Amino acid sequence: MDFQLDQQHEMARALFREFAEKEVKPNAIEVDETEVFPMETVKKMQKYGFMGIPIPKEYGGQGCDPLTYVMCVEELAKVCGTTSVIVSAHTSLCCDPILTYGTEEQKQKYLVPLAKGEKLGAFGLTEPMAGTDAQGVQTKAVLTEDGKEWILNGSKCFITNGEVADVYIIIAYTDIVEDKKGRKQKKFSAFIVEKGTPGFTFGTKENKMGIRGSSTYELIFQDCHIPAENLLGARGKGFPIAMHTLDGGRIGIAAQALGIAEGALDRTVEYVKERKQFGRAIGQFQNTQFQLANMATKCEAAKLLVYAAADAKKKSDRYSVEAAKAKLFAAEVAMDVTTKAVQLHGGYGYIREYEVERMMRDAKITEIYEGTSEVQRMVISGDLLK
Amino acid sequence: MSLEEYKGVFIFAQQVDNELSSIALELLGKAKSLAEDLDEKKVTAVLLGSGVGSLVDKLAEYGADRVIVVDDPELKDYRTEPYTHALASVINEYKPEILLVGATAIGRDLGPRVSSRVHTGLTADCTQLDIGDFPLEPKEGVEQKHKQLLMTRPAFGGNTIATIACPDFRPQMATVRPGVMQKIDPIKGAKAEVVEYNPGFTKNDCYTEIVKIVKETSAVADIQAAKILVSGGRGVGSPENFKLLDELAEVLNGTVSCSRAVVDSGWKPKDLQVGQTGKTVRPALYFAIGISGAIQHVAGMEESDIIIAINKDENAPIFDVADYGIVGDLNKVVPALTKRLKEELAAKG
Repeated sequence: MDFQLDQQHEMARALFREFAEKEVKPNAIEVDETEVFPMETVKKMQKYGFMGIPIPKEYGGQGCDPLTYVMCVEELAKVCGTTSVIVSAHTSLCCDPILTYGTEEQKQKYLVPLAKGEKLGAFGLTEPMAGTDAQGVQTKAVLTEDGKEWILNGSKCFITNGEVADVYIIIAYTDIVEDKKGRKQKKFSAFIVEKGTPGFTFGTKENKMGIRGSSTYELIFQDCHIPAENLLGARGKGFPIAMHTLDGGRIGIAAQALGIAEGALDRTVEYVKERKQFGRAIGQFQNTQFQLANMATKCEAAKLLVYAAADAKKKSDRYSVEAAKAKLFAAEVAMDVTTKAVQLHGGYGYIREYEVERMMRDAKITEIYEGTSEVQRMVISGDLLK
Repeated sequence: MSLEEYKGVFIFAQQVDNELSSIALELLGKAKSLAEDLDEKKVTAVLLGSGVGSLVDKLAEYGADRVIVVDDPELKDYRTEPYTHALASVINEYKPEILLVGATAIGRDLGPRVSSRVHTGLTADCTQLDIGDFPLEPKEGVEQKHKQLLMTRPAFGGNTIATIACPDFRPQMATVRPGVMQKIDPIKGAKAEVVEYNPGFTKNDCYTEIVKIVKETSAVADIQAAKILVSGGRGVGSPENFKLLDELAEVLNGTVSCSRAVVDSGWKPKDLQVGQTGKTVRPALYFAIGISGAIQHVAGMEESDIIIAINKDENAPIFDVADYGIVGDLNKVVPALTKRLKEELAAKG
């Protein structure tokens, strides 16, 4: 057991924090108001190597451990929920599956530019009929007779980094098999699809409550031909690939939720020291003190869970339960802490300039995406009762 | 006055701006078959208006044997009081056994007024009319009357069907839902006996004064009021390709609606969107064309009486809610369907 960050981690955190304060924080309000994807900031992050933190150096990444990546997402989320999820979706949901399941050719062709920050990645699983029940996927991929191409048909919705990303991991069903009882089952496969492929277009841009600068799009595939070598992993193994990818992604979202909660707490501490009523700072009132104590304790508990999940990912290939616990708890802490932060700000907390209301709006999505809190409870209890 | 004095089947021939409404011709078609069941030879149309003589021949072609024309400047535009006075006077003078009125905005206003004035029963918004015995089954101690008009109408929002008779008063009056009854094939050159009649009009307090008649031209159809919706999704492919749906809708007298994907692509205005974030519709007939049928859409239309799905993907979830489904290319299916419907409807007149 060691609860101390080593020097390397401390240095990395200082770097992320400085970037967040200097480059991200000043734009956070505008990004939220205008719903414009912060392309300039993303370009800077690509230049500084933020887009390939846990990817080995030989594939263009920084070769750091999962904890360093988690701290990057956390520090960004403290000032801007939008910016943190751009990094998280790119790294956890696009780079990681190519690193884990890709062939050497696929890694050279796709992972290297992604990790270097030359390209941006996204992940397409969800569909209108397939959210929590991911088996409901209706997007279909058919191999041509000569075996050279797959033809994709269908659509995906709510895709983070949609439209701005260059590389997409898409889950589609490729076969229908009958089990012993004669029940039909879909078999899924994962594919790497590039933006600009004919037959691949973008539909609706979602107008969201929070993380408003994050580009959330519908993807449309109409007779989209992709080369046979863009099958990621084995045919029919798409579902386990998606699930394993989401396990990692959940650590990223847990880090985002943690950062949002910590950011709201930091602002609230500052505010209650300055704000005076009844002749003294409101931080002097015991209610304020006790609320802050609760908020700080929850943040710390969430942090330990999130870091423990990052550590589990470093040590083993199986970390579903740790990731689920971290995401479940951190997301609910984020919702709770941001709500309290708005309250402690009083009327000003409800004003956009004070930014805690944005954090409260941003917090809610962490309980929903990359598996709702209820899905995390399914994962955790499933493990307990196995 | 005995009930036997009342003879013949009459219809109110609604006209607006000296043009016969379609319902007038539909009522004539039904009145003819009712007259046959009553061993009556004659169907009479009652035509109210100002300078409407030219409409008589058309009524004759569609089955009127006699037209009673009340032609008076007071009847130029529909107003409750003069029209009620005219129609009630016609009833008192000519004593019809049955009087049918279209359940249009005008008919729904006029029917109840007239029935109260002549003190008889009225069944509103009928969808079926038969001649038969009342009570339907003989009951002890109750005289069973024969050759009564049995008027059937949906009640309680269509959840129950009531059959109603009016055995003790005449005429037996019904307003009839437009679009339910069939016109007959017009008989070219048919002539009807024309009876000019004018009860005289005295203006009184109930004569409304028409300030202005506004003809609404709605830029966007009200899809919630439509009986038939031809709905297109992303599968239609382009805004230009919606003309296939426009043509189908035109033949069926329906309205075009769409899914969210179509609105998001900027092909159609948001007012036409069906679904969770659009409008909820309950037409009698819903065509889902090139719509995959995600719950976000289905939630807005699953209450439709009949759903017909056309989609090239046999696994599309829309087929789970469709009464009839066609797996195929809508670019081939829809024009073929339009063509056949055109032919069938033309054959029906």
